[in-house]
Formats: sequence, C-alpha cells, structure tokens
Amino acid sequence: MAAVFFLENDLTPEQIDNIEAKLKESPLVLEVNFITSDDAVTRFKNKFPELEGIVANLKANPFPASFEVTLRENIMSSSDTADFIYQIQRIPGIDDIQFNQDWVERMQSFSRLTRAIGFFLGGILILASFFIISNVIKLNVFSRKDEIEIQRFIGATNHFIRVPFLIEGTMLGFMGGAMSLILLLITINLLPLYLGASLGVLKEFINFRYLTFGQSVNVMLGGALIGLFGSLTSLARFLKK
Amino acid sequence: MIELYHVWKQYQKPGWALSDVSFHVERGDFWFITGPSGSGKTTLLKIIFREILPTQGQIIVDRRNILKIPDHKIYQLRRKMGIVFQDFRLLFHKRVFDNVAVVLQVLGVPRKEIRRRVFNALRMVNLHNKMWEYPSHLSYGEQQRIAIARAVVNHPMIILADEPTGNLDTELAFEIMSLLREVNKRGATVIICTHDRELIRHFGQKILFLYKGKLLRKESL
Repeated sequence: MAAVFFLENDLTPEQIDNIEAKLKESPLVLEVNFITSDDAVTRFKNKFPELEGIVANLKANPFPASFEVTLRENIMSSSDTADFIYQIQRIPGIDDIQFNQDWVERMQSFSRLTRAIGFFLGGILILASFFIISNVIKLNVFSRKDEIEIQRFIGATNHFIRVPFLIEGTMLGFMGGAMSLILLLITINLLPLYLGASLGVLKEFINFRYLTFGQSVNVMLGGALIGLFGSLTSLARFLKK
Repeated sequence: MIELYHVWKQYQKPGWALSDVSFHVERGDFWFITGPSGSGKTTLLKIIFREILPTQGQIIVDRRNILKIPDHKIYQLRRKMGIVFQDFRLLFHKRVFDNVAVVLQVLGVPRKEIRRRVFNALRMVNLHNKMWEYPSHLSYGEQQRIAIARAVVNHPMIILADEPTGNLDTELAFEIMSLLREVNKRGATVIICTHDRELIRHFGQKILFLYKGKLLRKESL
C-alpha cells in the first residue's frame, strides 16, 4: 500500500530532511523514497513520450517534489492509517496527499470479514475433529472391549489401559495437523497459479502467505491436544465402570 | 484367606442369586463349589474377584475387606488372583506367548524376566513348544491350558476357576484339573466352580453345595 506526499515549492533541504525523518518515525512506514521535481519530469517524459514537447515548452517545472511512502501490508487498521496521514498532512511544507482511503477501508473490512469467516470455519473444524477423533477412539475401545476386560481381570490399572488410546488419539491429532499443513502448502502454491488472471485487481491485495514455523508447530500441537482431549472424553465413560 | 459373611445378592430380576452365604477358605485349600445351573456358583466367584458387588454381606480377602477397596484400586486385589473362565477369554489375535505375557506386562516386569516366566508357565501346561502359535490354531484343551498358564504366571495367592472344564471331554477335563491340583500343591489357594460330579469325586477335598443361591452344605473329604 502506498501514499504520495507532495511538497510545497521552495522548501529548504533542512525542511525536507525534517519531513523525511517524521515519515520514517512511524511504525506503519516500510519505505520512504524522495522524488525531486526533476525526477518527476523525467518519469513523466518516460511514461508519456508523446507529451514530451508540451513539457519542453513550459517555462517552469510544474511537477512538485514528493515523498513516496510504502506502508506495511499488515497495518493494524484503517483508523491507524488515517491517523498517520492526518498527522503528516499537518507538517508544514506538505502541499497535498494522494491516498485512496475508501479503497483501503473497503479492503480492510473485506479482510476482517474473511478473517471472521476463517475463525468461524476453523472453530467448526476444530469441533468436528474433536468429535471425529473421540468417535474413532470410542470405536477402537469398543472393538477392543474384550481385551480391555481381560486386562482389568488380570489387574491392569486404568492408567495402563488408557495410555495406548491416549497415544493413539494424540498421534491422530498430530498427524491431522501435519496433513493440514501440507494441504495448506499445496493450496498456497497452486491456488494463485490456478486462479491467475481471475483474481484481477485483487491480486495486488490478496497475499497468499504460508504459516510461520511457530504457527505451524502450534497447529500440530493444537491437533495433538484436540486428539488427547477427544480420547480422554471417550475413555472416561468406559473406564468409570 | 477368603472369608464371606452373610453374603446376599439380588440382580434386577426378583429372587436372590445368593442368600446368606458364609464360608471360610484357608490358605492353600482346594475347594470345589458345585450345584446345578443357576445355583449362584458364578455369582459367588464374581463377588470374590469383585466384578460385581453383593447386595449385603462382607467379604474379606487376604485380611482386607474388598468392598472397601475403591474402584480405581481394584487392580491391587486382582493381582493377587488368577482367574480361569469357562470360555477361556483369550486374545485370539495375539500369540500364545503374548496371551500369557500380558499379565506380567501389566505388572511392569522386565522383558527378559517375562520371557523366562512365560516359558516356565507354558512348560508347566506343556505348551512351551507352541508359544508362537495363535490360540485359534489350537484345540479347546490347549486353549484352556493357555488360560491356566495365564492365571498362574505371576504366582497369585488365589486361583478362581469358573467351569474350567465345561467345554472339554472327560480326558481333557482330568488333565486340566490335574494342572490346577499341581498349582495348588505349589501353594496357591484354588476355588473351582463345576457341576461335574465325576471330577469332584476324583479331585474333591472340600466341597460347597449351592442350590438356588443357598449354601446347602460344606463337605471335607
């Protein structure tokens, strides 16, 4: 996401340095580029070579100097961005700002919506995996009912009977987490290729990013924990007898 | 070793499965409990190893009132006992060795020691040369011998056998009973439920007669 801050004419180098320093102070700013009036003319000429003659006929350079600021993609909210723009606007020497706030707000609300849908679906999937693992263990306990009964007759503790099922549930959850990470990796690598042009203008805003190492570990540990609790609940009733 | 005081048991259906049963079993005894089907023999055994609770009465096993043992500590009682069932209750998807070894695994015995003790138990029942076979490949008599090896492998103080010869012909039944007698001679207290009069006549020393849940008489031959 970018914003352009146009400067007034006749600023001293100290004033320009002061504005640049203030821009760089903000945690929202990723990169600051200073574009002089001459750079702006050169860019214009390169972009629109057929209009070069018109610019040459002008007595003065009409393009103001500017700062092109790249904002971080994971900025907290649109209100943070708006506050930042407002503060910079009040610095003496800033003439105008080019920044599409409506678009940013729309994209951010879209992002919030997708995040909410993500959480909702994630919650449902967590519950589903909990019940699936719990039922798998329950079926397994049932199919090994005779064996468990024999173990009880020969003096096995509940702990002894429980541990293999807990390990099984934990492993199921862990492997489920690992498989979901593999699927996510495949999706992230293939989906942009598959969708390609259909994303259109959204392509610049939708950033497919894989989980960090810490997040991946958390997904697998979370899966293992769901498996563990799933097996515990299915065993609790059976071992109460 | 085992003392029962005025034990009564009623299931959901009307009538008493056991009515006021009291008796004492001394350490090293060899007892038969006999009576017709439905007389309460199995109920009595189940109460002794606390698979079920009596409606009334007290049961002392090895100086401990077993009704006061909390559920999660029942394993302490069961580890003193070896139980032989009429239907063997073997793990048919596991080999003979594993069926016997499971008792020692539960106790946390080291692997090397398990191998030694399982081999000895299987040698006692003459199945040491079949220990890597599956029980389903063996005869009924051999399956019951596996169950006996499992019951004795941890040298329990008490052996409870519920109709251990119920599915076997006379010759095999005598063979199984001889094994249990041998276990008794090595020091274990043995209680056997059976309605086989021939066996009782041949092996019986102390006999309890049950009829419709009542203890009719005790005999010591």
